[in-house]
Amino acid sequence: MARRGNPSSTINANMTPMIDVTFLLIVFFVVVSQIVDRDAVSMDLPSPENAVAAIPSPQKKVVVNIVPSKNGEVESIVVAGHELSWNALPELTSIVKTHLQGGAVAVHLRADRMTQYTYVHQVIEAIRDVGSSPRIQLVIEGDLE
Amino acid sequence: MIIKRRSAGSMGLNLTSMIDVVFLLLIYFMVATEFKTAEESFPMDLPMRDHGQTLTLDNEPLVIFVESSGENPNDVRVRLDGPWDSIASLEDLLSFLRKNKAGTFGSSGLFAETHPIRIKPTSKTRWDHAVAAYNTAARADYVNITLDEPS
Repeated sequence: MARRGNPSSTINANMTPMIDVTFLLIVFFVVVSQIVDRDAVSMDLPSPENAVAAIPSPQKKVVVNIVPSKNGEVESIVVAGHELSWNALPELTSIVKTHLQGGAVAVHLRADRMTQYTYVHQVIEAIRDVGSSPRIQLVIEGDLE
Repeated sequence: MIIKRRSAGSMGLNLTSMIDVVFLLLIYFMVATEFKTAEESFPMDLPMRDHGQTLTLDNEPLVIFVESSGENPNDVRVRLDGPWDSIASLEDLLSFLRKNKAGTFGSSGLFAETHPIRIKPTSKTRWDHAVAAYNTAARADYVNITLDEPS
C-alpha cells in the first residue's frame, strides 16, 4: 500500500497563543489566591432575608471566629491565627485588646448560623471586657444577587 | 569581506517541558484557590461596663424576646416586653416597629430613631434567628440596637 504525502515535512502547531492564555490564567490564579482572607474560618454564616447589612469598610480588623461543632455547640475560637479552647475566653480578651492597641479599629464576629446564642453572647461579653467600648461587626453571608 | 551564512535550518526552542511545568502550575493554582464568599456585617456598639446608665421613661428600651422553634429560618417566635399586642412573626415585628416609629408618615410616633432596642434571645436560640431579629429592627431604620444577655 502506497503512502501519500511527503515524509520529510512535519506539521507544527502554533503554541504561542496557547502559552499566552495559559500564562494569563496562571497570573490570575496567583493574584486571586493572595486576596483570600486567611482570617476567616469556613462556616455557614447567617443570611437573613432582606438584610440591610453593609459591606464592611476595608480597615484594619481583628476577626473572631466561633468554630461550630454539632448541635449548635462550639468547638473552639479562632482569633487572629490563634486557636483557643472554649475555656480560654480571658485569653480572647487579651488578644483582642492587643490588636486594638496595635491599630485595629474593628472587631468582626463570625459565628455559624446553628450556634446557640448563649455561646455567642459569652464571646461578645469577652470582647466587651476589653473596656474601650469597641464597635463589633456581626458578619453575615453577603447577598449574591 | 565574506559573510558566512547559516543554512536554512531553523533554530527553535523546545517548548514541551516549559508547557508541562506551566500546566502543572495552572492545575495547582486552580485546585488550591478557594474563593471567598461575599460577606456583609451589622455594626453594633457595645456599651461600657462600668458606666451605669440612668434610664428615663422616654428611653426605656424596647425589649424583644426571641426564641427558635425549629430548624428553618422562619421558625422563630418573637415577643415584646410591655403592654403591646402580641406579634406572631418577624414580619409582624417589622410592621409594629415601623408603625410606632416617630417622624414617619402614618405612624403613631412612640419611638424615636435612636430609641434603644434590646434583642433578648433565649440561650438555646440559634444565631441566625437572633441575627434575623436584629435585621428586622435595622430594616425599620432604628440605629440603637443591641443584643442582650440570654433570657
